[in-house]
This record gives sequence, C-alpha cells and structure tokens, in this order.
Amino acid sequence: MSDQNKIKLLLVDDEIKFLQSIAKRLELKGFDVITTSNGKDAIEVAEKNLFDVALVDFQMSGMDGSQVLKALKERHKYLEIIMLTGHATIDSAVECTKLGAFKYLEKPYNFEDLVGVIKEAYQERLTKKFEHNMERSKQIQKLSLGSSPLGILRGLAKMDDDEK
Amino acid sequence: MSSLKESLSNEDLIFFGKINASISHELKNVLAIISETAGLLNDLTEIAARGDEVDLQMINTCSKDIVEEIQRGFSTIKQMNTFSHSVDDPVTEVNLNKLLELMINLAAFLSYAGKVHFDPLQPTGLTIITCPSRLQNLIYQTLVFAFESVGPKGEIKVSLHPQDNSMARITFSGLGSKAVREFPVDQTIQIARSISTEIVVAGDAGVIEIMVPQSLEH
Repeated sequence: MSDQNKIKLLLVDDEIKFLQSIAKRLELKGFDVITTSNGKDAIEVAEKNLFDVALVDFQMSGMDGSQVLKALKERHKYLEIIMLTGHATIDSAVECTKLGAFKYLEKPYNFEDLVGVIKEAYQERLTKKFEHNMERSKQIQKLSLGSSPLGILRGLAKMDDDEK
Repeated sequence: MSSLKESLSNEDLIFFGKINASISHELKNVLAIISETAGLLNDLTEIAARGDEVDLQMINTCSKDIVEEIQRGFSTIKQMNTFSHSVDDPVTEVNLNKLLELMINLAAFLSYAGKVHFDPLQPTGLTIITCPSRLQNLIYQTLVFAFESVGPKGEIKVSLHPQDNSMARITFSGLGSKAVREFPVDQTIQIARSISTEIVVAGDAGVIEIMVPQSLEH
C-alpha cells in the first residue's frame, strides 16, 4: 500500500519503549505512524501533518492526556482520538467522552482489538467528513442560485470562517 | 506508643491506598511494554516464517527491552513489599537512608515527578526510632509538593544530616521560594506533630527541612 493510502496515526505516550514497540507493530499492520512523547510536541506535530487518528496516553508528565485531547480536538475537528490509560476510572472515561474521545481503552489491551478500534475511528472520521462535504456542497449550490459571482465568493469565505 | 497505634487513622489508609494505586499503575505500564514488545517479537517471527527478511537488531532490542522491563517490575515489587511491611510495627527502628530512597523511588512513579538528587548519609545512614508509615507519608507529601513546585523538568536535592545527636535533619532544596511559602498545609502539620517532627521552611532559599527526633520514645 502506498503511503498516501495508509491510515495516518499519531501516537502520544511518555513511556518510550511502549511507544516504540506499538509504533513498530502498527507499521507492520500497514499504518503510517508518527510518535511523540509529550502533549506539547503532539500538538506541534499535528499542525504540520494531517492525521486520521490519534492514540493518546491519559497519564503523562507535562500536559496530561485530557489536555492533549482537548487541544487536538479544538484544532482538528475531524481527527478521531483514542485514549489509552493504565488505570481506567469512570470519572476519567466520562471526562474523555465529554471532550470528544472516540474510545477509551485500558492497558494492557488486546492488540488486534486496538487495530479494530483504530479502523472504526478512521471510518467515523470518513463518515463525518463525507457528511460535512455533502452539507458544504448543498450550501454552495444554494449560494450559486441567485447570487452574483462576488456574492458567491463572499458566501464561500464566510463558510470557511465558520469552519475555523 | 499505644496511642500512636490506636490513632492510625483514615489519613494513614488514604496514604497507603494512594501509594498502592501508584505502584499498580507502574506495574501496568511495565506489563503493557512487555506485552507490546512480546507481540512485536511474535509479529517478526511470523514475518520470518513467511520467508521475508527480518531485522536481527530489532529482535535483539526487543529481547533486551523485555529483560529490562522484567527487572523494572521486580524492582517495583520489591519496593511494594518494603512499603507494605512499613505498617507492621507502629514504632520501630528505621534506616533513614533506606526510607528516603524508597519514598523517592515511589514518588518517581508520579506523572509529574521531577528529578531528585539524593545525597545519602555515608557510610550507612542514620537509624532512628519512629513511626515509619507516618514519616513516609510526610516525606511523600513533601516530595509531591516539591514536584508541583518545580514542574516535571525541575530538579530537587534531598539530603540527610544528623543534628545534635538527638535529631535528624532531612533537607529538600531547589524549590521555588514562592511555592515554599504555601507549605505545609494543616494535614501535613498534623502528621508531623503526631511523630514529634518539625517542619522548617526557608521560603527565600527555596528549602524545606524536616527535623525528626532520633528516638520517638524519648
């Protein structure tokens, strides 16, 4: 599979050995993986790359997982984020769900299950983007009816602003 | 010291539970690494079985990582065992070098833990008679406070000195002076008082000192 067709993953965990092993395994499964060991770097890397799915450890030094989740979701609406935790609690699960996490998995998990969840998250991203694009097409069609060329351009610019 | 035995309170249990939760989190991380690395070895074996080329260096790194993580797990379990036995006797002989080392290692499991330079008392440390679990709680709370003050990239220094043949002085230095002024909270003061221990804060110098009697029975 060419790199362009691979699902692009961002992995964020401060346990370096865990990060390296899981990244290699996911690469062998055909994913395109970039790793970072802290939240600040994750946000920076996500600005420079277009990711489909992110896997974020909940408990990290510096920015914790929920802060990273919030920051990534604010900046990348269609990025699906899977939270990983060493110790799941109801409170942290609720917090992550409210912040828009796709799933919340407890370590150690079954690797094949994780791969399945990543693929589900990717499907979710595609569905949301498709729906968004359909909505956008409808709005453009509506704009083009009865608007001047300048009016259409202004309308498109407004749509772009609203999406930011 | 029966009063101390009777007074083992909810606070003591909360501390005990907090440390155990932290240890279990650490062990889960160890197991997660072993699980993923063993999984990677399995993936590489399958690749080799298909006749495809496998990076031998990667196999070597995987097996080294597994051995290291097993050692990390054993070391964590040893710390858990030592900590668990610290409530066996409410008042007993304690080697302060060992107690400080244990609490520094346990506090290092915190996600926001900074670096600690421990300067033990040579050659064998200082043995005192105290309530180990209360002193552990006090040291842990001070370390937590120190980490929160300096942040995860910060560094603090912990040192131990005998004082006047009757006291031991444990010094935490390298803390922010503003943050030190917020220490200790009431709960910490109560724990210190229960083992006749005094907390001295030198705010401007960014130093906290814990003065522990060499014998709680005096």
